[in-house]
Amino acid sequence: MKKVALAAILAVTLAGCSKQEEQVLNLYNWSEYMPQTVLDQFTQETGIKVVYTTYDSNEAMYARLKLLDESSQYDLAVPSTYYVNKMRNEGLLAPIDRSKLSGFDNINPTLVNLDIDPGNQYSVPYLWGTTGIAVNGDVIDPAGVTSWADLWRPEYQGRIMMMNDVREVFHVGLRVLGYSANSTNPEEIEAAYNKLAELMPGVRTFNSDAPRMPYLEGETDIGMIWNGEAVMGAEDMPALTYIYPQEGAIVWFDSFVIPKNAKNVEAAHKFIDFVLRPEIAAEISTEIGYATPNLPARELLDEEVKADRAVYPVAEDMVNAEVQEDVGEALLVYEKFWEMLKAGR
Amino acid sequence: MKAWLPRVYLFLVYALLYLPIAVLVVYSFNDSRTAYRWGGWSLRWYEALFSNHAMVQAMWNSLWLALAAATVSTLIGALTALALQRYRFRGKKALRGMLFVVMMSPEIVLAISLLALFLLVGLQLGFISLLLAHVTFCLPFVVITVAARLNGLDQRLLEAARDLGAGEFTTIRTILVPVMMPALLAGWLLGFTLSLDDVVVSTFVSGPSYEILPLRIYSMVRVGLKPEVNALGSLLLVFSLIMLVISQLILMRSKR
Amino acid sequence: MMLTMPSQSERQPFRTAVLILVWSWLLLLVLLPNLLVIGASFMSRDPSDFLSMPLTLDNYLRLVDPLYLQVFLHSLYMAVITTALCLLIGYPFAWALARVDKRWQTLLMFLLIVPFWTNSLVRTYAIKLLLASNGLINSALQSLGITDAPITMLYTEGAVIVGLVYLLLPFMILPLYAVFEDLRRELLLASHDLGAGRAATFFHVVLPLTMPGVIAGVLLVLLPAMGMFYVADVLGGAKNLLVGNVIKNQFLDARDWPFGAAASVLLTLAMAVLLLAHRLSRRRLGEEGET
Repeated sequence: MKKVALAAILAVTLAGCSKQEEQVLNLYNWSEYMPQTVLDQFTQETGIKVVYTTYDSNEAMYARLKLLDESSQYDLAVPSTYYVNKMRNEGLLAPIDRSKLSGFDNINPTLVNLDIDPGNQYSVPYLWGTTGIAVNGDVIDPAGVTSWADLWRPEYQGRIMMMNDVREVFHVGLRVLGYSANSTNPEEIEAAYNKLAELMPGVRTFNSDAPRMPYLEGETDIGMIWNGEAVMGAEDMPALTYIYPQEGAIVWFDSFVIPKNAKNVEAAHKFIDFVLRPEIAAEISTEIGYATPNLPARELLDEEVKADRAVYPVAEDMVNAEVQEDVGEALLVYEKFWEMLKAGR
Repeated sequence: MKAWLPRVYLFLVYALLYLPIAVLVVYSFNDSRTAYRWGGWSLRWYEALFSNHAMVQAMWNSLWLALAAATVSTLIGALTALALQRYRFRGKKALRGMLFVVMMSPEIVLAISLLALFLLVGLQLGFISLLLAHVTFCLPFVVITVAARLNGLDQRLLEAARDLGAGEFTTIRTILVPVMMPALLAGWLLGFTLSLDDVVVSTFVSGPSYEILPLRIYSMVRVGLKPEVNALGSLLLVFSLIMLVISQLILMRSKR
Repeated sequence: MMLTMPSQSERQPFRTAVLILVWSWLLLLVLLPNLLVIGASFMSRDPSDFLSMPLTLDNYLRLVDPLYLQVFLHSLYMAVITTALCLLIGYPFAWALARVDKRWQTLLMFLLIVPFWTNSLVRTYAIKLLLASNGLINSALQSLGITDAPITMLYTEGAVIVGLVYLLLPFMILPLYAVFEDLRRELLLASHDLGAGRAATFFHVVLPLTMPGVIAGVLLVLLPAMGMFYVADVLGGAKNLLVGNVIKNQFLDARDWPFGAAASVLLTLAMAVLLLAHRLSRRRLGEEGET
């Protein structure tokens, strides 16, 4: 009798011990940049709850991370190329343990081991995309729009949308003048500012939260947009067309990083590993319209998605396209002129 | 002036005040994803809202925060009003001045000043930072409400208490608190209201560990096409109407 | 007027505790933070930290730069219009409310406050639903045949003002209601008996007596209006920034805390000026002299 009782007690206590405390992963990501279904699947499989907070610009993300640095509030963040470099240099990131990631080699080798993060010690590419021109086909004939310079046309004034991002907007200004979008030359940047200042009176709104919305709401007819947003927008409004500008679209990619003081590093690795699975990466790309750097995932995509040039551009679309790179100290110059652009009328 | 004119005017203004809210409620039942086309009656957005765990959590967090902030600020505010009325001490003007400054300051000034403070002392942004901030901006309103009530108090009650040898704490507990009760309730409700409604201060001093409504829906609202927000608005309205009824009942009882 | 003082021997521990609590709260959470902001406004920006040492007046000089000055003036302009509209709508409202049957007054007051339990951000979004190009008002106008094409209402100055008025109207009404409630009918009757017409009564009796309420209302609307960045964010589009947007941007995006602090100090100075005006108006009415 005693033995049974003892066994029962042991069983109960052991059962109590093995029940884990609910784990939480704090994911800090761009808005509209991760399907809820993927998060749910992750939770279902691992039991880890995902707390998902969003930002609409690298600056906002960076400012917030800086502010909350010591108190380790975020486990994962998704900065763009040049911010990976900046954050790495400032010692804000924790190294990523590649041994915990089984699918890292799925990633297209051309996007790996770049200057921004040699050896990918601190980042894992997530998605890449382009920023180009959006046109509401019901109002403006897409065939007539081919370059960034077209935005300056008088008939569009008051109906233009621009991204709420310093580097992207200046890319437009610089390329229209023939300069590189990664220019560190203050004179070129100032020239771009002057050119952009001419455009400002015609801009209706800036939006990086969900750039497709002003078009869907009928508030703007032409402007900048991320390709994925154009794809998502076209579902509700088929007339929304994505155009690769002649002077060159902006090419960027975003990577997972783990903030230095992250609480749940284990869960962060698990999540990255999860997303690296081909079927998950394919699901993400299909849902939100951005291109995955995951090569096996691309094989799994629907023919329709693969053929969608907005998501997966062909060579001629990418002529003159420029990848966003780090501009180092010059960023302060950009930011100064950006403020002036937004404050002025 | 025609007798009915004032009433009509009141009605019109109330109608305008409630129009946007009515829109929210009606459209929360709209079966179409685009808020601008009517697709028939449906409860799908309420379902979507409740299955969005983050939103539900944020809603609860906001409510708990408001409850806590209202209670703490009522406590401290009542004590402040008492002190200002009953005790002699130096710096009363300064105290009043600081309360006044808080009340009149634009919220954003309050928000950044507290953010600077929290950064300085290394306080982690979360529930505590929010609570401290919310109590601070509710405080002056509670003080004013309670002080107004204390002002009209019949002195003879207190004299009688003193003659009977009642101590300070006893006096407060048995005489002043019951007298202040309507003001305490009004102050509590005011604090609760201000806390639930707050966007500015919360934007600055909250952290991801305790997400409250404004931040959770901020980007959604800029997007403009999330019908779950309509459902959220309607629920909040229903909740506040219930609170309204309850508070009316309590106030009617306490008047006896 | 002081309440009967507590007896000498008994009051110490409780009184001390209360005073310590109240003073520490206010000193730590009101005085200190404001001093920090003032201090920060004289510091320099640091690219990798928040504040750095070289003390400077640069931030204030930047404020006077025509670029920012323009933003401030535009913001002030929108706030003034908002306040004027709130006053225009709120003044008669408060008058009417004060004359309603006493039994209904509490309920009506509550009805003013109930919308606040639906968070301001949610209500701002509702305004967006109403004003959008394919929003409710445009849809209604077009289906009724009153207009052909949508009227542009969103992302304009007007949209921001509508949003601000909508959110701030109750703050104008409350202090006005308080003074109207105090206004004794006997004064109005006396004025009438002395032969004054309606207009004269209004200008010489009602207006002066309600002036403290007006100024309090203006204080509660004008400055907050300049700080409500989320209204400008949601409804204003690219160009209609409020001072609050500039401050928020400096603190949360551009990370130029010193500049943001300077802008904030400016706002506080504006508040001080208005408070002074309030004090002066109350003094004129002989209401000064509280204990």
